[in-house]
Amino acid sequence: MESIATPRITCAYLNSYVGKNVIIVGKVIQLRGEEAILDADGNITAHLNREAHLLAGNAAQIIGKVNPDLSVKVLTSMDLGTDVDYGLANTVVEISHQHRQLFAYD
Amino acid sequence: MGGSQQGSQSGSGRNFADDTLRPITIKQLIDSKPPYPDSDVTIDGLPAKQVTLVGQVRSVANQSINTTYRIDDGTGLIDARKWVDPDKPESSVQFAPDTYVRVFGRLTTFNGKQHIAAHYVRAIQDFNEVNYHLLEATYVHLMLTKGASAGGTDADGDSMFVDGGYGAGGGSGAAASDARLASCSADARTVFNFMANSPGHDTNISQIEAGTRMDSSTVSLAVQGLLDAGVIYTTDDDFTWAILDI
Repeated sequence: MESIATPRITCAYLNSYVGKNVIIVGKVIQLRGEEAILDADGNITAHLNREAHLLAGNAAQIIGKVNPDLSVKVLTSMDLGTDVDYGLANTVVEISHQHRQLFAYD
Repeated sequence: MGGSQQGSQSGSGRNFADDTLRPITIKQLIDSKPPYPDSDVTIDGLPAKQVTLVGQVRSVANQSINTTYRIDDGTGLIDARKWVDPDKPESSVQFAPDTYVRVFGRLTTFNGKQHIAAHYVRAIQDFNEVNYHLLEATYVHLMLTKGASAGGTDADGDSMFVDGGYGAGGGSGAAASDARLASCSADARTVFNFMANSPGHDTNISQIEAGTRMDSSTVSLAVQGLLDAGVIYTTDDDFTWAILDI
């Protein structure tokens, strides 16, 4: 049992989590080699690793570290297909910040 | 709650309300400290034995008789141990790291370390279930700590929760379920619901008798239960009460 939280965030929360590991769920807008642009309530630049197998237009979950320039260095990524409710994912981000006692260690 | 009967098979003092399946985040498990050794873990003031959670498999440790998955849901990590049943070949299905899984299980402490003894683990097909679970866990937490929404989400009648499991009463709406009512009788809940829905701050015994169509001795017993639970308090005289809002 370990108390390690990886908060779920959207674009708007990036600057609160510089240097921390986060989970982002968004739509892959663009893929350029090892760089991807993800839409999670705003565009986020993600630096992918070699193992990444994302598809443009599909949803993806990335777990990574937020860089000082607000891009994300991806540690693991996952293709989620086309049936992801982005509104729901963004709502969960808001809820998890409203009720921090269930989700985060302060 | 019937602590002396815990773990016995006689079942006479067993409280089945404790066996409700709680959707939780891993952080809730980590934060839950048993009040004394070998006691049941409580979350939001109610015992939580059977839990369900959704997370990603971080690592898999294979032993001959069980498989231990390290589960991460973004709020913490916990081990889930799935025992292999030789009679059921499907029980030895393995889940690869990074797979999202839903775990149903029982919170267990072994060697001072908490883990989940999983009854059932399945892979998640639809990613939205992950988000759904987090919202459900939040909803149940808020319902137990702040009371159910007044006729809101439950009004459509498709709630998956059994009335009574969380101490809910008639299901008639306003303030029907309150975590503080968990130990109260059905009569007490009826009286509480009547008081919650009646206009004005105070409610007199004659109003309760007329409103609930119960006789005075039943009402007195129910009121005594509510007073003992600290849910209501005496106001103008010994036969007038008001609900304690917290």
